[in-house]
Amino acid sequence: MRRFPLTRRLGLRARITLAFAIGALLLSALLSATTWALTRENLLDQREESATVVVYQNAGIVQQQVRDTDAQTLLGSLPTPLGGRPILFNGDEYVSLTPEFGQDALPGELRDIVVGGQPSRMRFRLRGEMQLAIGIPIPSEQVAYFEIVSLNDVEDTLSALGVSLLGASLVTTLAGAALGWWASRRALRPLSGVSSAATALAAGRLDTRLEPSEDPDLRSITASFNDMAQALQDRIERDARFASDVSHELRSPLMTLAASIEVMNNQREDLPERARAALDLMVGDIDRFQQLVEDLLEISRFDAGVVRLELEEVHLAELVMQAVSHSTDADVPVELDAELAGVVVNADKRRIVRVIANLLDNAAKYGGGATGVSLRQAEDGVQIAVEDRGEGVPEQDRELIFDRFNRGSVAGRRGSSEGVGLGLALVAEHVNLHGGRVWVEPRGNGQAGARFVVQLPVEEQE
Amino acid sequence: MSTRILAVEDDERIRAAVKLALEDEGWAVTEAATGEDALLHFQREPADVVLIDIMLPGIDGFEVCRAIRRSSDVPIVMVTARADTHDVVAGLEAGADDYLTKPFAPKELSARIRALLRRARTSDVSSPHLRFGDLEIVPEEGVVRRNGRDVHLTKTEFRVLVELAQSPGRVFSREVLLERIWGYGYFGDGRLVDVHVRRLRTKVEADPANPRHVVTVRGLGYKLQV
Repeated sequence: MRRFPLTRRLGLRARITLAFAIGALLLSALLSATTWALTRENLLDQREESATVVVYQNAGIVQQQVRDTDAQTLLGSLPTPLGGRPILFNGDEYVSLTPEFGQDALPGELRDIVVGGQPSRMRFRLRGEMQLAIGIPIPSEQVAYFEIVSLNDVEDTLSALGVSLLGASLVTTLAGAALGWWASRRALRPLSGVSSAATALAAGRLDTRLEPSEDPDLRSITASFNDMAQALQDRIERDARFASDVSHELRSPLMTLAASIEVMNNQREDLPERARAALDLMVGDIDRFQQLVEDLLEISRFDAGVVRLELEEVHLAELVMQAVSHSTDADVPVELDAELAGVVVNADKRRIVRVIANLLDNAAKYGGGATGVSLRQAEDGVQIAVEDRGEGVPEQDRELIFDRFNRGSVAGRRGSSEGVGLGLALVAEHVNLHGGRVWVEPRGNGQAGARFVVQLPVEEQE
Repeated sequence: MSTRILAVEDDERIRAAVKLALEDEGWAVTEAATGEDALLHFQREPADVVLIDIMLPGIDGFEVCRAIRRSSDVPIVMVTARADTHDVVAGLEAGADDYLTKPFAPKELSARIRALLRRARTSDVSSPHLRFGDLEIVPEEGVVRRNGRDVHLTKTEFRVLVELAQSPGRVFSREVLLERIWGYGYFGDGRLVDVHVRRLRTKVEADPANPRHVVTVRGLGYKLQV
């Protein structure tokens, strides 16, 4: 299996949407992180400053009273507006109000610095909560005063802020994706118009054009698309008109020829032998010539898109029987599904008759003659099949033979060069016009020969 | 006296070839290159069958057809360029009895003409008076009266009416009518029947949009309402 890079596997729209989403995510993440970091520093600094002010005041009190007052009482009397826990180092030991916030609670590093005579503060974690410890040496009294202040409420505030920022980033990312989706849709909308117009053109609706656009960016593509469509239409119509004109112009002289030859043929017995032989050649070829001109005219009408179905309610089984019995091969056995005996379809009688006649003709010319015609119920419609006893159609020719003037690679071997090569192309056109399809398959059952199958849709009759 | 055919065709060579072919059948052919010419000929010497090409310089085939119809019920065969255009219906509505598509074989043309002549001459219908409400048909005389007044029908319209009137209430499919009246097999053009019925209705119905005599049986054909 071939692997494609992600960008190829994703559609343009998905890619634009993804790019917008990633852009929004990066931007909002950056903004959030900056906001969070700045706010955090700000809040902590504020708290530290105010705590430091309190601790210095308390240290002053300690300095005045430490000599006259019992350490426990002194610590208990200190004001702690920020919820600080006072600890006193009296030179020998640490005294605190509660054992949890005693010597062990203080970071050793801080203790060493302060006891060494240097005031200091330090943020640390104690039992999972963020704390601030501030220590001030009081050298005149040989003591040091410490206070531990909880920073937990600052942390709560910060985590609440973090959640809000995360939510905001998420919303921004989604909004980015939505914007990308919308923008790509806006940007690609003209393309979907181009695409459906191209599809319509390909389907043969040659007068399809794009709406002229006000948008300067789109105007040039719209204009060049419409120019292309116009050129295409002109070209196809010119070709079709040429074929139609030629065939049309050929009809008048042909008719004169046909009538004159018929008059001569009426006097055939009075002609010398050589003239008679020449007349016979003319009689044979004038029919072929007329058929060719008729076929060309018919097919040029398909090309010009002026073909209309003359639909009428047709008794299908009877139509097939009649078509066969009026063909050049009237003795071919016809096999009918009993359940199709009464089926009435909306069809263009003349075209269906031509389809059957052309298939029988084809069998006669290339397939050694038709061996049977059948009308069967199929899954989604009815199938008319014509079988012959020729060599069959090789796999690679099975689509080609429905092209114009293409008789397949073995046609030369299969029979004379009598055919004009338009019969099967017309079959395909007539059948397509009815919304059906035609194909050729081997006759099967181990018998040599081809089976041409025409499948026609059947609408429910009221 | 032999059958006279007026052939209106602007292409000189086709006209000459058709004349030769029709003369082989033993018919006398008068040629006309334009519509004006054709109408002059027809006034001077009415023909038994008129063959009109629709594409004519000057007044076109439809107009020639309508002009002839104003004074005569002579059988008219239209020649059109294509079978799948509106020309066929327009030609039939202008009053043509039948049509052929170019290029046609002279044999086909003479077969059409013979069928028309047969239709024009036969009065093998021996039933006496037929009466349907305000409508009275006298097949022997070739006369149709509505409210006691003569209704002017072409031979083909008359045949359609009589065919239906032979078995009142029975439904006739287009194919049956095509075969009995025009002599076509299964592949006749159903529009011949439809347009003739339409023309017939404008003449025998009080309100052609809501026919009470010649009614359509959807999907099956036509019948004469009893």
